[in-house]
Amino acid sequence: MSKPIIDARNLIAAYGSMQALKDVSLTVEKGEIFGLLGPNGAGKTTLLACVEGLHKPSQGSVHIGGINVQVDSTATKRQLGIQLQRTALMDDLTVAELVEVYAALYEVYLTSGQINKLLARFDLVEKRNTLARRLSGGQQQRLALAVAIANDPQIVLLDEPTSALDPHARRAVWDIVRQLHNEGRTIVLTTHAMEEAEALCGRIAIIDRGQIVASDTPSALIANLQLSSMLKATVELPLEQVRSLPSVNNARYTGQHLEMETAKPEVTLTALHELAARSGSSIRDVMLRQPNLEDVFLKLTGHALSESN
Amino acid sequence: MKRFLILTKAMTLMHLRNGYVLFWNFVFPVLLMLIYGVVMSQYMDYMTPGVIVLNALSFGLVSSSTMMLEMREKSVLRRLQATPLPAGQLIGSYLVVNVIIGVLQSTLIILAGVLLYDVPVTATSLLLAYPMILAGLLAFMALGGIISGMVTKSGTATAIGMTIYFLLMFISDLVFPLDMLPNWLRNIVPYLPAYPVVQLVRSSLLETALDPKWLMHLLLLGIYGISATFIAAKLFRWEPKA
Ligand SMILES: Nc1ncnc2c1ncn2[C@@H]1O[C@H](COP(=O)(O)OP(=O)(O)OP(=O)(O)O)[C@@H](O)[C@H]1O
Ligand SMILES: [Mg+2]
Repeated sequence: MSKPIIDARNLIAAYGSMQALKDVSLTVEKGEIFGLLGPNGAGKTTLLACVEGLHKPSQGSVHIGGINVQVDSTATKRQLGIQLQRTALMDDLTVAELVEVYAALYEVYLTSGQINKLLARFDLVEKRNTLARRLSGGQQQRLALAVAIANDPQIVLLDEPTSALDPHARRAVWDIVRQLHNEGRTIVLTTHAMEEAEALCGRIAIIDRGQIVASDTPSALIANLQLSSMLKATVELPLEQVRSLPSVNNARYTGQHLEMETAKPEVTLTALHELAARSGSSIRDVMLRQPNLEDVFLKLTGHALSESN
Repeated sequence: MKRFLILTKAMTLMHLRNGYVLFWNFVFPVLLMLIYGVVMSQYMDYMTPGVIVLNALSFGLVSSSTMMLEMREKSVLRRLQATPLPAGQLIGSYLVVNVIIGVLQSTLIILAGVLLYDVPVTATSLLLAYPMILAGLLAFMALGGIISGMVTKSGTATAIGMTIYFLLMFISDLVFPLDMLPNWLRNIVPYLPAYPVVQLVRSSLLETALDPKWLMHLLLLGIYGISATFIAAKLFRWEPKA
């Protein structure tokens, strides 16, 4: 394996007495899409900030392309294209002006033609003379992406590029991320949506409460935990009784839905029907699904990805 | 250099497109001259340098410091920090933009004085007065830099800046002569930052001469400017939260 393009070792980062990263290590290979998956407050933004040279870790080091961020942050910043979680551009400038100025900050000077070409990729050409603050949320998000790659970086860091976007706009961003990847760029993105991590990322790190709890390809993460299938049904039955059904490893309620982890779904389902018949309840909406990253997260951290804080 | 120019152009555009900034920076100073012209029409020679300095004072303590704070509040500074732009170039560009605005304001006030109230101004007196105005602007902006480094919200900075501005405005020989003040205050005022500036600007603009105590005034202003710059640099923060 070649040398990782991003190499973060034993990072500890704190805001006052609050420890946001507790001994985090991470490597990203050249040309991959790497996802940081974790709930609110997990430390994703802080981890990116250490890589971006915006936050000085109290311990540990980050190397980008072999250069230590703490030693020469100007050189490491030069290699990066960045989109911060809070879109923070100068909103009294037009779309084209913003692309021009952010490229110039990297000493990349774009011609008007080059700016148009870049904006075309993000479907922003008609908006080139519109002030940034007059754009819709989705357009602003696309502008932030255009600005992030204005300097033609080899490494692109995207902090929640699709949060607060509707499904359609979200897919458009996914397409852009895939394009950037096809051009050979390395991409690191954060998300708290497991379907996004599954759809986009070659490898992911699951991060929770300032620690990376697992890191691998999505399918390996799911396979390694040897989770059985998930049987879902809408039914009201006491949990202890469900847990003692044959082949059931675990069971829980999410809302009205009963979720059972089972090694032999057919056996469990038959037993569930019998149990329901005995207690006079009815079963509706039975569904069998493969385990996903959400289940992995739950198994590893003991709490659900979407509800934790 | 090209990077610096593009950034400076962007920052200029950003501020000129803001109607609020335009009004307070360019319309308000002229309105001020009109108002003073109504209430103190026979003193406009004395008043014009006073208005220049009080405007520079409010610009340095309030407008320019809020400009920086708003960029910090909206995380624009944070985004700039993520680029390889050296901090010195950012500050330099910000200074250039603000000095241009500040000098333009003073020019508008002088124009109003000359055109509306026949304030006697010559080419030589202007040549002498502009460096003094510039020195004042820079010192006041450095003081404003301390305020923006100390507070978190631009609203707080405006409140603090305005308070200092109003206090200094009334006692610094800008719009009321010093002999209207009680004795004890009259002895302190010459050591406050606005007084030396208005002496320098008034003598050079109206008499085409340096104030007899010019060296002492410039020295005092230099001490204010340099120490304030040093403190402001120490307090400078990129990120919005403390
Ligand atoms: N500037 C700050 N000052 C104090 N505490 C902070 C600051 N920024 C983050 N924190 C705290 O550090 C922890 C990690 O925050 P971080 O922003 O890295 O999480 P995150 O995974 O990006 O969360 P989200 O999904 O909400 O963006 C949180 O507990 C947060 O409250
Ligand atoms: Mg975050």
